[in-house]
Amino acid sequence: MTARAMMNLRSILIGSAVFRLVLILYGEWQDAHMEVRYTDVDYLVFSDAASLMASGSSPYKRTTYRYSPLLAFLLIPNSFLHRAWGKFIFSASDLLVGYFIYKILKQRKVAEDLCLYSVMVWLLNPFTFTIGTRGNCQIIQAAVWYGLVVHFRIYPIIYALPIIVVLDPRYVQLGKKPLLVNWKSNTQKPSSQSSEEASTRYNLWTAAKSMFSKERILFGLVSGGTFFLCTGLFFHLYKWEFLHEALLYHLTRADPRHNFSIYFYHIYLQYGHQLSLVEKLISFLPQSIVQLVLVSSFAQDLPFCFFLQTVAFVAFNKVITAQYFVWFFCLLPLILPWSDMKLRWEGLSCVGLWMGAQLHWLLWGYLLEFRGQNVFLQLWMASLVFLLANAAVMAVFIRRQRCSPIFLQMKVTDAKGGVKSE
Amino acid sequence: MRIIGWICWRWKMGIIWKFFFCCCFIVVTLSIYGDCLSLEDCILKSYFSKNEVLTDSSFQDLLQDELSKFSCKLLPGDPNPQLTLSGLERRLIGEGSHRHLSSTIQLQVPPQSFPLQSCKLVMIERLPSGVFADPFELDHLFHHGAYAGIGVFGDTNLELPSVSSNRSAVEIHMNFEHSISSGAMSELGIRIDLPLHARYAPLHESGYSEVAFGTPDLLVSCSMEGSSGMRSCLIVPSHDSNRLRTDVVWKIPCGIMSHTNVVSVVTFATAFVSTLVIVFASVLYPKPR
Repeated sequence: MTARAMMNLRSILIGSAVFRLVLILYGEWQDAHMEVRYTDVDYLVFSDAASLMASGSSPYKRTTYRYSPLLAFLLIPNSFLHRAWGKFIFSASDLLVGYFIYKILKQRKVAEDLCLYSVMVWLLNPFTFTIGTRGNCQIIQAAVWYGLVVHFRIYPIIYALPIIVVLDPRYVQLGKKPLLVNWKSNTQKPSSQSSEEASTRYNLWTAAKSMFSKERILFGLVSGGTFFLCTGLFFHLYKWEFLHEALLYHLTRADPRHNFSIYFYHIYLQYGHQLSLVEKLISFLPQSIVQLVLVSSFAQDLPFCFFLQTVAFVAFNKVITAQYFVWFFCLLPLILPWSDMKLRWEGLSCVGLWMGAQLHWLLWGYLLEFRGQNVFLQLWMASLVFLLANAAVMAVFIRRQRCSPIFLQMKVTDAKGGVKSE
Repeated sequence: MRIIGWICWRWKMGIIWKFFFCCCFIVVTLSIYGDCLSLEDCILKSYFSKNEVLTDSSFQDLLQDELSKFSCKLLPGDPNPQLTLSGLERRLIGEGSHRHLSSTIQLQVPPQSFPLQSCKLVMIERLPSGVFADPFELDHLFHHGAYAGIGVFGDTNLELPSVSSNRSAVEIHMNFEHSISSGAMSELGIRIDLPLHARYAPLHESGYSEVAFGTPDLLVSCSMEGSSGMRSCLIVPSHDSNRLRTDVVWKIPCGIMSHTNVVSVVTFATAFVSTLVIVFASVLYPKPR
C-alpha cells in the first residue's frame, strides 16, 4: 500500500469515524429532547438483553430479543460504561467493513481510485451510517467464519450453494491458495490471465457431478460443525428459549404489521386462518426460483452472486425492515469496479427509482402509523411498487455487469512431475 | 487467549479483537428490570398471581377483598377516613398508533387529622383489548422520575394483533405533594400520563376499530400506626359520577375483509412478474466466462 493510498484511505476512515461520532452524540441529544427518538427500538432491545445477561439472567427474558447471545455479550458494557457503547461497536464495524472492502478489491488488483470510491459507497451511504449510529456484526478458516456468521445472522445460509459450486477442485484445492482473477477495466485488452480462466461453464449440473470433492466435504463439515457447536453451546446455556427466539422464529416469521414486504397485508387479512398447501407453496416459489436461477447463472462470479442473492432474498422475504438493506449495501462496493453502469444517468436512475419507491412507501406508512389514517390499501400498493423497483434495479445491474469468475483454473502436476492445465 | 491472539494476529485485527474480548470479560451484577418497580404492595400482582387472564368481574372481587383486608380504620366500628374525588378528566393525546392517555385527578382532603402517613395515589388502568403499554418504555419513564412506582401485568406481548392477545393492566403509584394530616382542607391535583400503543385490530368493513376506555380504579394507599406497628392501608375516595368525564374512545385503522381476494391475487401476481423479470435478465445477459 503506497503512502498516498494509505493517506487517502486513512482520511476516508478518519472522516467517517468523526462523522459517526457526531451522529452518535446527536442521537443522544435527540433521544433526550425530542419526542421521536433517534435510537432504534432494536438497540434498546439489545441493551436490555445485555443488562439481563450481565445480571446472570437469560437475554431471552427480554421480549423480542431474537438474536445470538453473542450480540448481548458484546453489549454488556452498555450497562456499566455508557449506553452508547453498542453504537460505537457497530460504527467501528462499519469502518472495519470499509477496510475489508479496500483490501479485497486491492487483492484483485482494482485501480486505486476505484477502490477508494467503492469504500466511500459503503462508508458514506446514508443507510450505513444512520443504521449503525442508531444502533441498528484457506477453507477451514473460511468455513469456521462462515459457520459463525450463519449462527450470528441466519440469512448467510443462502450463500451455501454458490460457495459449494465455486469450491470446484479445478479452482480451489486443499493446501493451496486459490488464484484470484484480477480486475481489468472495460478499456483494457484481455490479459494473459484470460486464457486460464474457466473454460467450461459453471452450472448446477457440473457442480452436482463433482459434488463430493474433499474441499466441499471439508467446508461443509467445518462450517456445519461450527454452527452446531455454537448452537449446542447456547442451547445448553439458555435451552429452548434460545432455539425458538434466535433460530426457529426467523424460519417461520410472518408479521402482519406493516413493513416493506408485499405479503404484509395478505398476512394481516388472513391472520388466524390456516393457509392451504397451495397458498404456502405459492409464497415459497418466487423466492426459491429466483435464488436457484441466480446461483445457476452467476455462482462463478461469487461477489456478484452474493449481491444479487441478497437483494432478491430481502425483496421477496415475508418481512422487510430497513436494517436488512445493510446486508447487500456492504456487498455493493465489491461489484462496482466490474460494472459498466455510468453514474449519469443510469446509476442515478437506479438510485432514484429505489429510493423513490421507498420514500413513497414511507409516506403511506407515516399516515397509517402516526396520523391514524386507514391507508392499508395504498401502503400495500406501495410495497408492490417497491418490489418491482427492486426487480428492475437487479435487471439493470445484471445487464451492466462484466461478470468475471473469481478464481483461476489451477495447474495440476502429472505423475511425471510435469505441469499441465486441466 | 493464546489461540485467539494467534488468529487475530494472522488476520491483522489483533488489537481490535483483544480490546473487545478483554472488555467483555468484566461482568457487573446489575439489576434494573422489575415488573412491579418500587411498589411494596402491588394489587395487580396479587390478582395475576391467582388469575391468568384479566376480567373485570374477578378483578372487582379481588379489589373488595383487598379493601376489607387493608382497611384504614383504627377500630372495626370506626368510619373510613373521608377522601373525595372531586374531578376526573381523561383525554387521549396524539394521533396514530402511539398516544398518551392523560388522567387529571382532583382530590379533596378533609381538614380533620388522623394517623395516616406517606399517602400516595394508586391508579389501576385496566386496558381494553386492542391497546397495550410497553413495560420497557414505562421502566425508562420510571427511572426518569415520572412515577413513584409502576407495573404492567397481563399480556405484555408487544407484537401480536389483538385477536391473538389478552388484556393487560397498569398500576401506577403517584406521591402526594401535601401531607394528608395537615390541619386545612387540601385540593390536590394530580396528572398522570400513560403512553399506550395500538395493536393491529380485527378486520372491519368500516376500516376502523373503536376501543373504549373504562373508568380507572382510583385508590389512596397510606401507612398507619396499627396495634402491631406501621402497616399499609387502602381508601377508596368517594365521588360524584356526574363530575367525572371519563369517556375516551380510540379509533384504530384496521384491515377490510373485502380486500382479501384482490390483495391475495395481486400480491402473488406481482411476485410472479418480479420473478420473471429477474429470470429473463439472468438468462438473456452475459454470464461469467
